[in-house]
Amino acid sequence: MSEREIRVQYYALLREQAGRSDETLTTAARDARELYTELRARYSFTLPPEMLRVAINAEFGEWSQPLKAGDAVVFIPPVAGG
Amino acid sequence: MSPFRFSTSALDTVALQRQMRDESCGGFASFEGWVRNHNEGHAVTRLEYEAFAELAEKEGARIVEEARVKYGVTRAACVHRVGSLGLGDVAVWVGVSAAHRDEAFRACRFIIDEVKHRVPIWKKEHYVNGDSGWVNCERCAMPGAHTHEHEHGHHPHVHVPTPDYSRQIALREVGPEGQARLRSSSVLVVGAGGLGVPVLQYLAGAGVGRLSIIDADRLEPSNLHRQTWYALSECGQEKSSLAATRVRALNPEVRVEAHALRLDAHNAERLCAGHDLILDCSDNFATKFLLNDLALRTGKPVMFASVYQYEGQLQLVRGDNASACLRCVWPEARDGLVGNCAEAGVLGPVPGVFGSLQALEALKLLLGLPGLKPDEMLIFDLITLSTQRLRARRQPECEAHRRAASSAPLLAPEELEVQFGSLADAASAGFVFVDVRDTREREAEPLPAGALHLPMSKLLTDAATLDLAGRYLLICATGKRSAAAAGLLRSQGFAECRSLRGGLKNLKASA
Repeated sequence: MSEREIRVQYYALLREQAGRSDETLTTAARDARELYTELRARYSFTLPPEMLRVAINAEFGEWSQPLKAGDAVVFIPPVAGG
Repeated sequence: MSPFRFSTSALDTVALQRQMRDESCGGFASFEGWVRNHNEGHAVTRLEYEAFAELAEKEGARIVEEARVKYGVTRAACVHRVGSLGLGDVAVWVGVSAAHRDEAFRACRFIIDEVKHRVPIWKKEHYVNGDSGWVNCERCAMPGAHTHEHEHGHHPHVHVPTPDYSRQIALREVGPEGQARLRSSSVLVVGAGGLGVPVLQYLAGAGVGRLSIIDADRLEPSNLHRQTWYALSECGQEKSSLAATRVRALNPEVRVEAHALRLDAHNAERLCAGHDLILDCSDNFATKFLLNDLALRTGKPVMFASVYQYEGQLQLVRGDNASACLRCVWPEARDGLVGNCAEAGVLGPVPGVFGSLQALEALKLLLGLPGLKPDEMLIFDLITLSTQRLRARRQPECEAHRRAASSAPLLAPEELEVQFGSLADAASAGFVFVDVRDTREREAEPLPAGALHLPMSKLLTDAATLDLAGRYLLICATGKRSAAAAGLLRSQGFAECRSLRGGLKNLKASA
């Protein structure tokens, strides 16, 4: 599978653990789940994918959704502070 | 004649003056305000006046009566034009008759000054260049009570100002109709903390007719960096009543109710009844999901906001079967998964921004203006200042939608404390016991075999031996230490741990 450039944004706990709000990276991950697995290994994210949501191009999507070059991917955990 | 009225037709000043005649009066003074051909450097061709009649007539009559009492004059009246006026037309007329000229002059002056300050009337000026603009110059919205010094050595007269919505009524999208709509609206605000404070401030300021506040907490010093409405000296007091007092001080026209309790499955429907809109300003998923269920059950919209450190999320749940609810987005969310303000920290203005957004969206919703769509979540990262509107979808397998359709009872939030008649009952409910008492207490009154021992002193270090998803019942003598321990473990991610309400003492008492 060829590598593609994807723009990724992190929120809440993920932003803390990644130490950044966003980045553009080159990945061979085919879908959102593979991308998260790759990033989880890199940044030691504690949250399993079941506990967060992924949004692709401004729409909440499924983990199995295939990624294509130029996609904007957002990983968001639920937050409840008030 | 009525002391204050509006007229849509030209004023007959001769007829008006005739009505002021009285044989006991030795003097008559009158004032006429005319439409002039310029204002602040603009050449004016004509004017339009508009008034919020219901409020304005009441306030105008009050002014005339005040003048009559204050100066002891015999007759006093004021008539104000509304509608379209040409140059030279009489816009406002004041007439006063009294035994002597001095009272007549002063009462006349008082009435016109007060009318200009206090009566909600707006003026649209049409300029020679074809432009026009609404001017709120008839009223001076003065912060706090203003004092009028009157000549002739009279004592200064202080009057209590009335709420003035002129600055928002001036908006074309609001106008007098929008203001009346806000006045007849009723909003429930769940949580009077970081989000609730700005929400309540703006909704009270805007003149929303009725506000209900639910908050079980008491003010703590650690709240104040983000809940800047309150005072350090008020720590220990119930936030719901502190907030209600401030709402009344900000706007006495708002009917406000304070409920110092936690929203639960038993009281939720009763507390939410009679409100047009619910704002979730809570800090836990248990409350949020309960409100979500309630929205789906009743069809009442709930505006959710949640913050974390430097960011937050905003979502509107319409409560219909077609659009996404909170559970459609977060099927697996529960308390203890990610930190709250206490553990993760939060910068004060962050809930301030989101509470303000909530208030803004609430007002727009009540006014029928466009805003956040039902299937949308707004996320705002206040570190990078980037916003995103993410589209969510109604999930076909959504648990909350399914329950609402089946009209099953509301789910109780994940209560921290549970009550049992006996330990046997608790064991049969599937709980593993965790004894948080010290060794001496434990030996004096042991728990059944199989109970874990995790004294308070070792709670945090030994918690690692527990299973995150374990169904634990924390037990102590009176239920106080175990409740604190359960709270602590919850915050560490042990979502299923509970405290035995009342402790062992309560079991014995009820046995």
